[in-house]
Amino acid sequence: MPHNKHQGKKFENFVYATLDKPFKKILVIVLVFASLFGSVMMFPTKTVLAKMLPGKSTNTYTVYIDTPSGSSVTQTKEVTQCVTNILQKEKAVTDLEVFLGQGSPLDYAGLVKGSGMKMGEQYAEVVVNLTDKHHREEKSFNMVQRLRPIIQNTCKPIVAGTSIKMIEMPAGPPTLASIVVEVYGKDNSKVIALSHQVASILKNTKDLVDVDIMADETYTKYELVPIKEKISRSGLSVDQINKILYLAFKGMGVAVKNTIVLNDQTPIYVSLSKNSKTLDSNTKDTLRAKLSSLSLMNKKGMMVPLTEVINIKETPSNPMIYHKDLKTMVNVIAETNMVSQVYPLLDAREKMIEYFSKDYKVSKVPGITTYMFDLNLIDKKTGDKYLLRWDGEMKVTLDTFRDLGGAFIAALILIFLLLVIYYKSFAISGIILGGSFLSIIGVIVGHWVADLVTTETFFLTSTSLIGFIALMGISSRNSLLLIDFAKGLIEKKGIEKRRAIAIASATRAKPIILTAIAIILGSALLASDPIFGGLGVALISGTVAAVIVSLIFIPVLMDNTKAI
Amino acid sequence: MKDKDLSHIKVTDYAGKLAKSFLYSPLTAVLAIFLLAIGYLSLEIMPREEDPQIAISGGSIIIPAPGLKPKEIEKIIVEPLEDKLREIKGIEHIYSMSMNNVAVVNVMYFIGQNREISNLKLYDKVMQNMDKMPKNIMQPLIKPFDIDIDIPIMNIAFYQKDNSIKYINFLATVENLKKEISQLNSVSKTQLKGEHKEQYNVEVDLGKLKGYHLSLGQIVNGIKSIAIRVPNVDTNTKDNKLVVFGIKNAIESIKDVQNIMVAQYMGSPIYLKDVATVTDGIDTQNKKSASIILKNGQKYEQISLAVSKLAGTNAVFVADDVKKLLETNREFLDKAGIGYTITRDYGVRADDAVNELVHHLVITIAIIAVMLVFFLGWKESIIVTFTVPAILAATLFVAFMSDQTINRITLFAFLLSLGLLVDAAIIVIENIHRHLHDHESEHQDMDTLVIKATDEIGAPTNVATLAIILTMVPMAFVGGMMGEFMKPIPLNVPVALLASLFVAYIFTPYLSKKLLKRKNDGVHHHKIKEGGEK
Repeated sequence: MPHNKHQGKKFENFVYATLDKPFKKILVIVLVFASLFGSVMMFPTKTVLAKMLPGKSTNTYTVYIDTPSGSSVTQTKEVTQCVTNILQKEKAVTDLEVFLGQGSPLDYAGLVKGSGMKMGEQYAEVVVNLTDKHHREEKSFNMVQRLRPIIQNTCKPIVAGTSIKMIEMPAGPPTLASIVVEVYGKDNSKVIALSHQVASILKNTKDLVDVDIMADETYTKYELVPIKEKISRSGLSVDQINKILYLAFKGMGVAVKNTIVLNDQTPIYVSLSKNSKTLDSNTKDTLRAKLSSLSLMNKKGMMVPLTEVINIKETPSNPMIYHKDLKTMVNVIAETNMVSQVYPLLDAREKMIEYFSKDYKVSKVPGITTYMFDLNLIDKKTGDKYLLRWDGEMKVTLDTFRDLGGAFIAALILIFLLLVIYYKSFAISGIILGGSFLSIIGVIVGHWVADLVTTETFFLTSTSLIGFIALMGISSRNSLLLIDFAKGLIEKKGIEKRRAIAIASATRAKPIILTAIAIILGSALLASDPIFGGLGVALISGTVAAVIVSLIFIPVLMDNTKAI
Repeated sequence: MKDKDLSHIKVTDYAGKLAKSFLYSPLTAVLAIFLLAIGYLSLEIMPREEDPQIAISGGSIIIPAPGLKPKEIEKIIVEPLEDKLREIKGIEHIYSMSMNNVAVVNVMYFIGQNREISNLKLYDKVMQNMDKMPKNIMQPLIKPFDIDIDIPIMNIAFYQKDNSIKYINFLATVENLKKEISQLNSVSKTQLKGEHKEQYNVEVDLGKLKGYHLSLGQIVNGIKSIAIRVPNVDTNTKDNKLVVFGIKNAIESIKDVQNIMVAQYMGSPIYLKDVATVTDGIDTQNKKSASIILKNGQKYEQISLAVSKLAGTNAVFVADDVKKLLETNREFLDKAGIGYTITRDYGVRADDAVNELVHHLVITIAIIAVMLVFFLGWKESIIVTFTVPAILAATLFVAFMSDQTINRITLFAFLLSLGLLVDAAIIVIENIHRHLHDHESEHQDMDTLVIKATDEIGAPTNVATLAIILTMVPMAFVGGMMGEFMKPIPLNVPVALLASLFVAYIFTPYLSKKLLKRKNDGVHHHKIKEGGEK
């Protein structure tokens, strides 16, 4: 192919010309560092946004409905009905499954979100099954984003204090929620009160949705206090009263009949009829009136009205006490609305510092750890200590980025040692390593371009980071082949150094570009994938940068070093 | 095969040695076919699933303590128990919930802890400290988490299209199907959700009770005295023959319940039906229910059947077996007015994911092949294109042997390595190609040329590939769930890269020898080295 050869010659002369003039060499070095600085600056200026893992379009998602504790199944059903009415109108929905009083069959998300633990009248889950993602125009996460405000605005007001969450399948390992604030303290009720304040701050933060406090709401309940003296005098027992009350309002299986159809027994279940046990309203008086018609028979066969032997007292309910690692804690959780959790988190944290400064002494946790966003609060009046800890996806992200960062540094050291063993020269190894690090320019710029091109935000994700780590190896291969070839020319053929470098660049340009094209084409399909898109873009743009770096910048460095 | 003496060709690197020993070996072609065959078999046999299996160990301890308030439960049950649990090595977090009447303590081990041992340690610790538990509580329930078993791969919603059969028969039909499904290969656990039990409901009217001057206790006693089951009694006759007799069950049907006499009032009997509505129904006190709303807007109460598979088995096969079983029962179910919809099918999703990868691979290989035709020529392109399936086959086989499954992340690892694994072959073929068209190598015979060309780039390619492998290895040490999730990458990418080296050194020279011819058309006599000789 004479055409190629001709170009090879041209390129050889171009490299030689660059190496020959100190001014041009400096220009190359300055340009490289300017673009490195420029691309890295895209992080603090939020031109490129980072996120753990992007959304994943799936064929199913789940709606969690939690009415406040103490709500009846009928109330929960009403809210659920409202949700299904909205979802039913969607064309992409094939069927809806409603699970009342329990969680839906377990899935990856439900596993950590405690779906399997749900049992009680206040819980409901709706599984939304969609048509196959290949035949559907709208991505599931876009659909969730569109429907979320509609469902929340219409259905939440039906029962005050209801929380409705739309749970998508996680792309990576599941977490409790995108944003989790753990509120630690000594006293449960104070912690709950504080967590309500935290929740209201999260609710007022942009891009945070589905805010929920994972604690019981306190509601009024009635305590029946047995009057011991009267009970013993009328020949009754507290146990008898307990049993009758339970029997009357909850019901009890008192006997069984064996069945042959199923491997089971048919219980005979006794309770009061629906009319008899329903109260007209939730007041002390109606309860007393109802209980007065319930009588007990004492040992002598006399009927004693229940209200004769008990007092009715109104008390607040006892909320559940939650411990994490032996400390009293309440979780406040929130999801992000199609954005990375990093930026709303920082926003909310700023707001919290400002808000709590009035009543508390707020201090940040010093040092850089994966808990570096935590806040310590000390009540100015009482001196009680509280801790606001950020957990959830943020923690996993920081942990992963820390570990990947560590892996990356380890990789750098290992490659460096390998190169030192091979070349027996620190300078050459340094050149190769430094050159391969520069592919980061391409990675960041690539994400910026991808973000400009696509309609949704294109995040720098952990898959991009994996791509970058792989790129380190790829671009060091380019430099390696180049240096090896140049050294061969100098040592075996005795060609002058600068010319040898130029020839090497020109000769190796073809395989370097060929392998680069192979990587670019191989990753092109990846780039459109929602999860692996970051990797695809990182590989494509990073490779382009790596080619330019190895063909122009590396020769400059090679020329400057005495090791070759 | 003719035996050729290649010993005169001097090689310095493993690359050249491999090229030399396989160039005329009769085994090279056999090896190629063998590689492709085991790769294809592995792809077909390897268990497919959507998400990788993550060894999460942990468990729940549930302690019912009737009548206790959260504060009391926290102080006398939860805190002492938490203290004891802390003594177990390997626990990452302890979560506890102190509620009315019950305490729940959840334990999460660090990711990667051995599940069986962890479960045992938990059980052991709780049982050892049973004596420290307060007196009036019930036996603690210890339930280990089991992610492989607990997450069903299939859900099927059964519903009654018309009420032609009684609910209890509907339930019986579904339970029978459940039994049949749990007998299938690799099915581990089957579970129903939303099912209701048959029950005789006695709903007492408070007003009537008052009218007859009765107490609830009397009604309960009335029912209890009749609904007693006695085992058969036997005795012998004089000539030692066995005689068996028993009291007939007093309650055989709902009528018998209705006609239980609960008291006498002014001399006349009061039957249960006089003071209560007695119905043959379902357990009304069970507030859990499940329903399904179909595309056409029809809403049915459903019984949901969840099917889980054993760890390390193929989700696709299990799902297929279940579907086949349902299909054979379709007619029978139809007759009974029972419809069903499969609402979750991870088998299809796993299969889709794998097929998508194969699709991606084919397209990518085609694109790379076309590109190489333009840059190097169609024969060279064929050679490189062959190496891709060979490398992937070797990698798949290693993955299969090391008990991995094909899942989203394994596929990710393959896609990641796709761009990298043609590199070695491209570098070798390009060097052979360059020498073929080079003035300097004209005097060499073909054997020497391909071996020398392979040998020449061997050392830097080895080091470079090793460098890429080194970037991947530290990823194996990323901790937590994310690390476990990504594990297939450090496991498979290095294997693929190593395989790419061997394939490039063995098959590229071999195929080049077979396919490529030296071109002596004069065009290529323009000397590339001209510039260097100035």
